[in-house]
Amino acid sequence: MNTQANDAPQPQRLLSEVEALLRNRHRFFAEIRDGVNVNHKSRAMLLWSAIFLALFGAVIGSEHSVWQALASSVKLPLLFLFTLVVCLPTLYFFNTIFESSLSLGQNFALLLSAITMTAIILLAFAPVVLFFLITTSQYQFYKLLNVGIFAIAGWIGVRQLSQGMRMLTANDRRGARMRGRILTLWILLYAFVGSQLAWTLRPFFGAPGLPFELFRGLGGNFYTNIFASLGELFGFFIVQ
Amino acid sequence: MTRQQPPTPEELILSMLREVLARQAEQMGLKPKVEPPPAPLPPTQPPLPPANIESPRATSPADLEEADEPLSAAEAQELAEFNELAAQPILPGNLPRTLGLLVIGLLGLLVLINIPIFNGLALARALPDRQALIIRAGLLLKGSGPEVYVLEQNNSKRWVSSLDAFAHYGYQWDEVHIVADSFLDQFPDGRPLHVLLKCDASPHIYRLENNRKRWIKDIPTFESEGHVWEDVRFVSCDHLRNIPNGPPIPPEAGPPPQP
Repeated sequence: MNTQANDAPQPQRLLSEVEALLRNRHRFFAEIRDGVNVNHKSRAMLLWSAIFLALFGAVIGSEHSVWQALASSVKLPLLFLFTLVVCLPTLYFFNTIFESSLSLGQNFALLLSAITMTAIILLAFAPVVLFFLITTSQYQFYKLLNVGIFAIAGWIGVRQLSQGMRMLTANDRRGARMRGRILTLWILLYAFVGSQLAWTLRPFFGAPGLPFELFRGLGGNFYTNIFASLGELFGFFIVQ
Repeated sequence: MTRQQPPTPEELILSMLREVLARQAEQMGLKPKVEPPPAPLPPTQPPLPPANIESPRATSPADLEEADEPLSAAEAQELAEFNELAAQPILPGNLPRTLGLLVIGLLGLLVLINIPIFNGLALARALPDRQALIIRAGLLLKGSGPEVYVLEQNNSKRWVSSLDAFAHYGYQWDEVHIVADSFLDQFPDGRPLHVLLKCDASPHIYRLENNRKRWIKDIPTFESEGHVWEDVRFVSCDHLRNIPNGPPIPPEAGPPPQP
């Protein structure tokens, strides 16, 4: 770390870790691999990804009401961090079984780096979402726009995770190929857990005409809902 | 006389790796640190296709667990690039400041668009058709007439027959959406939504309709109208007496008794 960063106040020092992730992720990964300030990095990513996700949550929830904005700003960081906590042990133990030398803390930092990257991409899209929030009124379009943004941000995060995992474990050649396969399966698991948890924690947007509700009854699932929204957007049928 | 053995797969891989690293070093303008590639293969040795450059031993799950899996050429190149990029210092830039400004700017905008300044509506929800309808069960609709309807699961609309029924089912006036009559017409009529009133001191049951009470003659009529006991609401007899009479059910039932 440079001295300028060390002299800075704590949040700014933590933000400099995020800068390191964005500007030179290779060095960032190398430091995680070498165990350099892993806890500090994790704290920084935890704090800032939560802030970025909370902001994006507030933006998407503003479409409905102030209460929805507040609720979404809490629920969105929870969604990502709960998914991480639920899926982390699987990745760690499977990696360990297949000869990876990464510690739990290193795995955690690596996953957090993916979430932080996702959160930053979402934050970068926030002005776009705000623009459409003010200038369009079609709820299904707004919802699908955000699902698309989440998909892009999630894909970039997952790509970062995959790249990071390859780099961190490049020297652990034993079981490398199996770990690669496990990571692919784990990413699918992560996506399923994440989408199911998102369905459980919904609403994040809040349908117009419906009163604010912190949680909604568990009816259907994420995938059928997206299918129904597409159907209504393209005029195939009306969402009930 | 000893005969030179053909190279093993591991030696082949190593030689290919050396070539890759040497080429990379040349591209970067560095003197290659790796050994020059070994002598060319004997002509009898067929060249390995690129897909097979990894160890041919690592083909079974057991092998995958046991063997040290060498880097493929692509992996080696990626690792070399990774190490090279990781060695570069991170020069301080404006990124934290930019991120901070973006966060502060978004917070400001969020507050701004949520302040109710347009007749009590915030900018985020101020577009005239922002309250776009989600067609769903329980949606309250009103056309050009005074009738209020509630949509059912089966897409039929049920007329809410009185203010009492409206209040009885817990509806709020701000939940009623004014729509075009043509929009209402797309939903077939279902059974009207009534409130049935009764007081303790009287055995009679009345149906409230257009703010008039209609006496239901007997139980078979009650059931044939599709009513259920759960819909019967108990009120005071004085309140019931003060509601003007409407035609009885059925109309030929005669004059309605007072509760």
